[in-house]
Amino acid sequence: MKESRLMLIQYSTAVVAVVLVAIHLIMQGVIYPYSTAISFDNILSIYRNGYYAVFLEALLVVVLVHGFNGVRIILHEFRQTAPWSTWVDIGTVLAIAVSVAYGTRTVILAVFGVVSG
Amino acid sequence: MTEVRLLVQRFNPFVDPKPKLVEYTVPKREGMTVLDALLYARDYLDHSIAVRFSCRQASCGSCGMKINGRPRLACYTQLDELRGDRVVAQPMDNFAIIKDLVADLDSFFLKHRQQMPYLIRSDAQEMENPTREYVMKPRELEEVLQFTYCIKCGLCTSSCPTVAMDSKFPGPQALAQAYRYLMDERDEGGEKRLEALDTTHGVWRCHFAGSCSFVCPKGVDPALGIQLLRRHVMTGKAPRKAGDGAKVVAPTPAERAVTSG
Repeated sequence: MKESRLMLIQYSTAVVAVVLVAIHLIMQGVIYPYSTAISFDNILSIYRNGYYAVFLEALLVVVLVHGFNGVRIILHEFRQTAPWSTWVDIGTVLAIAVSVAYGTRTVILAVFGVVSG
Repeated sequence: MTEVRLLVQRFNPFVDPKPKLVEYTVPKREGMTVLDALLYARDYLDHSIAVRFSCRQASCGSCGMKINGRPRLACYTQLDELRGDRVVAQPMDNFAIIKDLVADLDSFFLKHRQQMPYLIRSDAQEMENPTREYVMKPRELEEVLQFTYCIKCGLCTSSCPTVAMDSKFPGPQALAQAYRYLMDERDEGGEKRLEALDTTHGVWRCHFAGSCSFVCPKGVDPALGIQLLRRHVMTGKAPRKAGDGAKVVAPTPAERAVTSG
């Protein structure tokens, strides 16, 4: 993929992440009292709300893509050899894939009631 | 007569294990530049000081160096504008040192060449034997004018934090020149230029620190050029040129002679 496409993804995910994180913080800190917002039962109930589960999955993907792509950029500046560049790119894709898969697994388990309070 | 303490970084990579500062006391006169002081030290105190210079009027860009920690042209920096009577002259950062204050600019000029700093056109025959004068309108010239003032001194590159980290990054000078030729109304190599810039170590690695623009002795704003360049690289589209009207408008001198004759 061209670097300009990757940077477009980087900028887009940054903008979307700001919006999603803001909504998330408002929900957790303002709508729910903060003291109960992070209680286990409350978190499970949030996951079981279909809309919020989709929202959390979107937040997960956006933040992970933005974060790992940012790390990729930093690592590319550390060294400039061809093998390093290849491994950094492969490592970034793998890190995003594994992290998204693991996070999605948590969302799915919570949504379908495999995890219960 | 007042004096100035001139500390020159001495280093011969073939002999010295590490650089060291050597102090010279130079008599100061009104209007004296750092280059004048260095040449005094070289001529009367130590013939072995290596310093590169040529025009002495900020036109050639040969005497770029770090003066009191900031990249400057030695010929364009008067002793009076520096605080105190202690002046430290060191070679530019981000370059290998040939000797003392002389930096190796090979990589700098290589990166400049990689940006194809010339007009790319499809009509090779016309370029070889032009039949007309190719002119730019004032508005078109304004778009690139400040970037044509670059004297390739290397100060911007020596101040760039990304160049310090990433040896493949073209640097502010090369990228500003890439913008200069991309925007030139007479150039037809836009897509080719944009493709060369859209790489892992290309235009996107600029952190926009702005130090390049801060140190430029000619008032060029390479940081601005890089940001403007990014807009075109992102879309992958070369700027729209005026077309044939801008390519050929002025008659040749011969035609002018016939018309006026």
